[in-house]
Amino acid sequence: MKAIKEEHVCKDDVYASIFNTYSKTVFNYIYYKFGNEEKAYDVVQEAFIKLWENCSKVAPDKAKSYVYTIANNLYLNVLKAEKVRLKYAPDTSAVVNESPDFILEEQEYKEKLERALAALPENQRTTFLLNRIDGKKYAEIADMEGVSVKAIEKRMHLALKTLREQIEGI
Amino acid sequence: MQENYLAKWLNNELTEEELAKFKESKEYASYLKLREATNNLAAPDFDMAKAWEDLKKNKDNSKGKVIKLHAYKKYMGIAAAMALIFVASFLYYGNLDEKISTQYAERTQIVLPDASEVQLNADSQISYSEKKWSQKRDIALQGEAFFKVAKGKRFTVTTESGTVAVLGTQFNVENREGYFEVACYEGLVSVTYNKEEIKLPAGNSLVVINGELQTMAIPNTKEPSWIRNESNFKSIPLKFVLDEFERQFNIEVATENIDTDQLFTGSFSNTDKELALQSISTPSQVKFKLEGNKVLFYAETP
Repeated sequence: MKAIKEEHVCKDDVYASIFNTYSKTVFNYIYYKFGNEEKAYDVVQEAFIKLWENCSKVAPDKAKSYVYTIANNLYLNVLKAEKVRLKYAPDTSAVVNESPDFILEEQEYKEKLERALAALPENQRTTFLLNRIDGKKYAEIADMEGVSVKAIEKRMHLALKTLREQIEGI
Repeated sequence: MQENYLAKWLNNELTEEELAKFKESKEYASYLKLREATNNLAAPDFDMAKAWEDLKKNKDNSKGKVIKLHAYKKYMGIAAAMALIFVASFLYYGNLDEKISTQYAERTQIVLPDASEVQLNADSQISYSEKKWSQKRDIALQGEAFFKVAKGKRFTVTTESGTVAVLGTQFNVENREGYFEVACYEGLVSVTYNKEEIKLPAGNSLVVINGELQTMAIPNTKEPSWIRNESNFKSIPLKFVLDEFERQFNIEVATENIDTDQLFTGSFSNTDKELALQSISTPSQVKFKLEGNKVLFYAETP
């Protein structure tokens, strides 16, 4: 039997580099859907084990969409999960001297924003956060979600509109 | 302003004129703030190093089996062939069906791989092949579901009573014991029942009760009433109404001296039990007794 081809996913360094590049996005992707860190972590494990088990069948350039698809399927199988509660890492932007009133106001705004985000339909929230937090381009999100770029634009538009309405209580 | 202009704005894709116009609008300030605020959001920490370590362990476990085979070199060929068959059949069967089901008093919504939507009513199940979905949009249904089908290839719903095929539309299928109903809310669906094909345009429904087929118009709505937590019936034998009540509230129904074949027209709430009991009993002129998780419908004494 001939040795595995150089650029194969079964090669440890190729596999590792795929993991380093995409595991965080897979984690965030599922987290935005579920709102559960543990489940998102598990999904990352399962998706990459599947990739390893099928490493000889998946070309390196297809590996990205392969793990996204697997992750999405795993998510679908546990769709009946509990209500989404999202937490975000604390704001890391530099602290400036600000008046207590301003800080309070900002805090309130942030809480409202988090509530509004949790209340968004799953597909809008996932799309919106992949773009805002992970900086994914619309085309890339369209690829992950298996829909058109236009559908992603629609979701972004609606997400912004709904968030504003929720926050301002319209 | 062009379609989805908020998405275009975030992506700096608005033309100068559009941007100027948007900046003048009274909402602009709040969208700007929203953009600022979401700039600072971050996802929770993901410990990549730990995930990699965990993964290595799991990965080696799955590799361990392969190494074991090497120890029995002379059987290796046979074992490998068997393993291949095993893996192939596992992959095949493992990927054949996604199954999603609901219990009594439960409901769920599923988004299919092509973004078609399915809402599954109580005590129902759908299964489909995730892997072959792009080639074949085929769903097996037990119970009741409302479908919003994305445009594309033929979409088929198979039930024990008959099959329903469409290209892209919205329709409801209910298949219970002795009862089969298809209602089309948008587009055109084709129903095959007893090897006969029936075309059902929007606004029509087909009901088969105990083998007897009839078509009728449906109320002018966009979706079946159960989506809005109401079960609706038009000239349907009482026993099917009581079955639905059982499914919606997870309550055992018994009857005494009642003709359950009498036809019922009306609706009941799927959220308010008392109200639902009254909505069923009053028009049917029967009484009911609710005890814990059981309800008895009985005839009024003259």
